[in-house]
Amino acid sequence: MSLQFISVEKRIHDSIIFSSFNLSIHPGQGVAIYSSVNVREQLMGLLLGDTTPSSGEVKIVGDQYTECKQSLGFLFLDNGLYERLTIEEMINFTKRLYSSTLSVDEVIGIVQLRSKRKMKIKKLSYSESKRVQLACLLVQNPDVYIFEEADQNLDLESKRIFLTVLQELKKKEKGALVLTGNMESAVTVADQIFRLDENGLHAIHTHDMSEEQPTIDETITLEESIQPVRFEKIPTKVNDKIVLFDPTEIDYIESSEGQSFLHIKGESFPANFTLNELEGRLLPFGFFRCHRSYIVNLQKVREVITWTRNSYSLVLDDKEKSTIPLSKTKMAELKEMLGL
Amino acid sequence: MIVSMKRMNAILMKDFKDFSRNLYVSTVLILPIGLAALYGRTGVNSIESQFMLINLAFVMIATFIQCCLIAEEKEKNTLRGLMLSPASTAEILGGKSLLTFILTMFVVVVTAYLSDYRPANISVIFTAFFLSTFFYIALGTLLGLFSKSVLEASIIVMPVFAIFSLGSFLPMIIDQYPILKIGMYLPNVQLIELATKVEAGAGFVDVLLELFIILAWTIFIFLLTRIIYQKKMVD
Repeated sequence: MSLQFISVEKRIHDSIIFSSFNLSIHPGQGVAIYSSVNVREQLMGLLLGDTTPSSGEVKIVGDQYTECKQSLGFLFLDNGLYERLTIEEMINFTKRLYSSTLSVDEVIGIVQLRSKRKMKIKKLSYSESKRVQLACLLVQNPDVYIFEEADQNLDLESKRIFLTVLQELKKKEKGALVLTGNMESAVTVADQIFRLDENGLHAIHTHDMSEEQPTIDETITLEESIQPVRFEKIPTKVNDKIVLFDPTEIDYIESSEGQSFLHIKGESFPANFTLNELEGRLLPFGFFRCHRSYIVNLQKVREVITWTRNSYSLVLDDKEKSTIPLSKTKMAELKEMLGL
Repeated sequence: MIVSMKRMNAILMKDFKDFSRNLYVSTVLILPIGLAALYGRTGVNSIESQFMLINLAFVMIATFIQCCLIAEEKEKNTLRGLMLSPASTAEILGGKSLLTFILTMFVVVVTAYLSDYRPANISVIFTAFFLSTFFYIALGTLLGLFSKSVLEASIIVMPVFAIFSLGSFLPMIIDQYPILKIGMYLPNVQLIELATKVEAGAGFVDVLLELFIILAWTIFIFLLTRIIYQKKMVD
């Protein structure tokens, strides 16, 4: 049995939460969807049947989704356990509720809580109670497992147990869908990773992950920066740290009072190079020196505005819709580049 | 819809274990029993005061505990898990009500016994108790649907507590305030009227009106609960 999303799209009022995508999760497959919290909540709503997609449908192959919600098993972010029951009683209760045939003892063994089986759930640590939740899910024995931020805030031990369980599920030909906002988590748990946002679903290939991953927080020391591969990142200084940016992240570069500033997502970072040096390094990435004190990432330019015969502006496709000046001589050059 | 006894029983057992370890709620059981013992010993045994205690037992056990059980499921996010399970709504609410039902019957009987209430016609009184229990449980479920936490539940139950247990003295002041006549149709007051008639030697046929009014209340609250449940769960 497999879970399928068929051109599912969700809009709330006028804004698109995620645009139409197709995805199917087959038995034995582990799929992760990396997304923002909004998208995750909407996806959960769809899977639970609380909301309906704006278009398309979610279904379990062969049947209409609503008829067989029992074949989906959820591991929610908030654990929803009866905290006054002991671990054993909680799992036993789930077993009886789902008329399951799996052995409680075995399941407690899988999540490695044998020594604590008589303990009340409220006395357990967060990670342990998460493991109890996982045990309850295992007892339900659904065909497709849905994990909501499965390994968030877990200790190392529990993460390891969780990953082992996922491997076991794959062997048992169960499907798994992991919804997460953490790329690291997505990479470790699933074989197939997708990013879902308002532009739709994009596959992320694990081998070229380094390009996909945001590098804003990545600070490295000088020794590490000696790499045999061609090095393309632009260093900037933030306080005492050196932060590296991908050229493609940069919206534009501005020079002011002899210092050049990289503008990225509405924030500016002082760069260590002069505008001329940066122009040389960034030319291969589709950057363009549009003004004596500006370099723009042409990928991000949305409009060219002609104010008068001699004054032009470029409007970028970023959040603030920044406008940057385009000088007259450079306009001719740009036209040439655009093939006009 | 086939109701699975196995699942209902699982919910009942779970609730029983959970309830017995929840001292905040389970100590409520002692209140009507303790008061009844006190009243019984001091020799206050007019039918009004006996029924004030019995009505108190109904509100405290059936309504308050049911309300808390449901509110806690909501507070701790466990209701969602139950609803996603194969158990149907009838099984979930049935399992919960079963626990409250057993507790209520037990406490009401003990309260009646300790307050020296010896009904002249046990079968009539039991039928009335039976119907009243359903009414108060349905009322508790309704209030439980409105409250988001146990704290809220214990406050929301206060007005109900005032109306249905202290309301037993309503007939005494009715002559001064004719507008309170409407209050005479409340199920708790009807229960007292029924009991008074029974003491005067009435049988089933003589109290049909009272039984019917209590039944009507029960059905009304059941339907209301059903509607509110569907509304709340769709949101």
